[in-house]
Amino acid sequence: MNLSELIHEFILALIEPGILVGSIGTVSFINTANSAFSLGLVFTCISLLYFALNADFIAAAQLLVYVGAINVLIVFAVMITDQSVSSDSEKRGIGYFTALGACSILFLTIVCIFHKINDFYSSSIHQSEYLKLNLFEQNDVQNIGYQLLNKFLVPFELASLLLLVALVGAINPARDEDEGKDIAENKKNRLFLQLHLVISPHFSK
Amino acid sequence: MNDINSFLSRLNSTINFSTILPEIILIVGLITIVITDLVNKGKNAIFLYKIFLISTLVSMGILFYQLISVIAFEDLYTNNIFNNLFRFFILICSFISVLLSVDYVLCSKISLAEFPLFKISAGLGGMILSCATNLITIYVSLEFLALSSCFLSGYTKRDIRSNEASMKFLLMSGASSSSLLYGFSLLYGFSDGQVQLDNIIDKISFSQYLPIICISAAFILAGTAFKLSLFPFHQWTPDVYEGSPTRVVAFFSVTSKVAALSLFTRLFRLIFPYLSNEWHIVVELLAISSMILGNLIAVTQRSFKRMLAYSSISQIGYVMIGILAADLENGYASMLTYTFIYIFMNLGTFARITPFSLRTGTNNIRDYAGLYMKDPVLTFSLVLCLLSLGGIPPLSGFFGKHYLFWHGWKAGLYISVTVALVTSVISIYYYLKIIKLMLTKTTNLVDTLKTYEKQKSLVSSVISTKLKSSVEMAMILCALASTLSGLFMDPIIKITRNTFF
Repeated sequence: MNLSELIHEFILALIEPGILVGSIGTVSFINTANSAFSLGLVFTCISLLYFALNADFIAAAQLLVYVGAINVLIVFAVMITDQSVSSDSEKRGIGYFTALGACSILFLTIVCIFHKINDFYSSSIHQSEYLKLNLFEQNDVQNIGYQLLNKFLVPFELASLLLLVALVGAINPARDEDEGKDIAENKKNRLFLQLHLVISPHFSK
Repeated sequence: MNDINSFLSRLNSTINFSTILPEIILIVGLITIVITDLVNKGKNAIFLYKIFLISTLVSMGILFYQLISVIAFEDLYTNNIFNNLFRFFILICSFISVLLSVDYVLCSKISLAEFPLFKISAGLGGMILSCATNLITIYVSLEFLALSSCFLSGYTKRDIRSNEASMKFLLMSGASSSSLLYGFSLLYGFSDGQVQLDNIIDKISFSQYLPIICISAAFILAGTAFKLSLFPFHQWTPDVYEGSPTRVVAFFSVTSKVAALSLFTRLFRLIFPYLSNEWHIVVELLAISSMILGNLIAVTQRSFKRMLAYSSISQIGYVMIGILAADLENGYASMLTYTFIYIFMNLGTFARITPFSLRTGTNNIRDYAGLYMKDPVLTFSLVLCLLSLGGIPPLSGFFGKHYLFWHGWKAGLYISVTVALVTSVISIYYYLKIIKLMLTKTTNLVDTLKTYEKQKSLVSSVISTKLKSSVEMAMILCALASTLSGLFMDPIIKITRNTFF
């Protein structure tokens, strides 16, 4: 391996434990706020992974959408709920071990497949083919925009409608319809919720 | 400005908008509903339903016109007859279910502008899902359909069962669509970055990557079998059907199943033709178990909606036989015919339960006792639809099942057809149990029915005659279609015949 590959491997080796530690922390922290913050760590490390794989647009979108909007919302929701610290772990029944067995079998299957494919792809023929594609000089953002409006027009417009319906559907159960309540407070609540819900999908579009 | 002009001219030359004109009309209807509701500030909600009805009818008209011609829309759609027929089915489902829900306007106190919005968006998602040939379009439209159905099922937010139903639906549909996405990602990766279904088959080399294809097929099967509520993935169906409002259950019991059927057929036919022996066996197993499970558990149910949920699980088991039995000369004729008849039967049954539960507030089967004396119209139309679901001769359900099983027998699916016949007989038992309950005169009537008369007069003074007749119009339409479609089977079969691809 030459120097650039070595650096690439080194960076990946730094990022991947971050993802692993963050995801284990997300599921096993008892305090929900710690769990939400380690989820933020996972998203940030995934975004760094995208940078290392030379997909700059996706990396920026990941940072903005996942870390900047979704994780902020999650932390906000966690902090705003008044929760007691959950009790210690219950006895681990048969369901735990069945799930553990099934997940480990799935994991081993995926690892075996990826090893097989990795051996296949690290042969020299494929390396030269990938270098011929010359990915490093394309303008990603322009390409994505072009494809979105030409080839993927229908899913793009449909996704915008989906956001509209999701907004309406999220506000619908949350809003207050009591006639007796203070109208100003109602409007303020609704506006706040709507503002928050408008900002986060705006970045994902 | 120059850029925009050149872009528009390029757009017009590459994309032929007339092929998605029905969907565009639905989108226009959706936006009109939102704007009208904003302008009217919540009053005059009946107008919104009229907009919905008009847009659905106009879409149907344009779709009829397009059924004659087969146009390919760039890479995103192909409008062959199979896809067009499914779009037409979904429009029929939307239309009839809107007729059912018009009386919701005056009888409940919650705001109702969002209801037609969600219904139109679910119909739109279903229509685009029926024609999508692109992995991304499939996923986005599937999510659109699932999300709108989930909001619909949680619509009565004061009812705790409705909250539970929509939570279950949301979580489980999220899990299943993530497994579907994983299967798609495997296909995307190993076909060198192709998203079009046709290009995927061209580029992916089946001999080399057979284990990957099998794993991807398993994940896609898990994802789509959830929407179809086949055997191991059916657990959400009874709870969601029981908890959601009845009109909503009527709508998404047909719409999402029809859309999921078209997705299932297209994916498995196009992508995995070399694996057809393997996935045939798996789907046959799933179909047999759903038929057995659905019918056996439906016998023990006490709530009408839960019983209908289990019976719809078994009906999808029958339709799976139709998918497996497709061959060159008949295409998917049996599946399409049975789906068409199933839509009317199912919607008809729900159309009868809706006013009954409105008037008496209960869904227990035992409370239907002696209904014959109080409301003969409802009783007889319910009898017709239930007999059609069971498959009794002069009604169209019999002809649909007969064609399906004959097709399946001819294709060599002996075990499935035998199991289907046995479980059909079991299903006749629980449908007839309800009919017997309704038609026999009991000396001491149930309390609910004693108040039936009074409530009926109360309700009808609130509902104007126009609205009451819309539900009755839906009832009569479905009853007629359930009864007479059997006589018109031949033209239907002829239309659905050349749908093999």
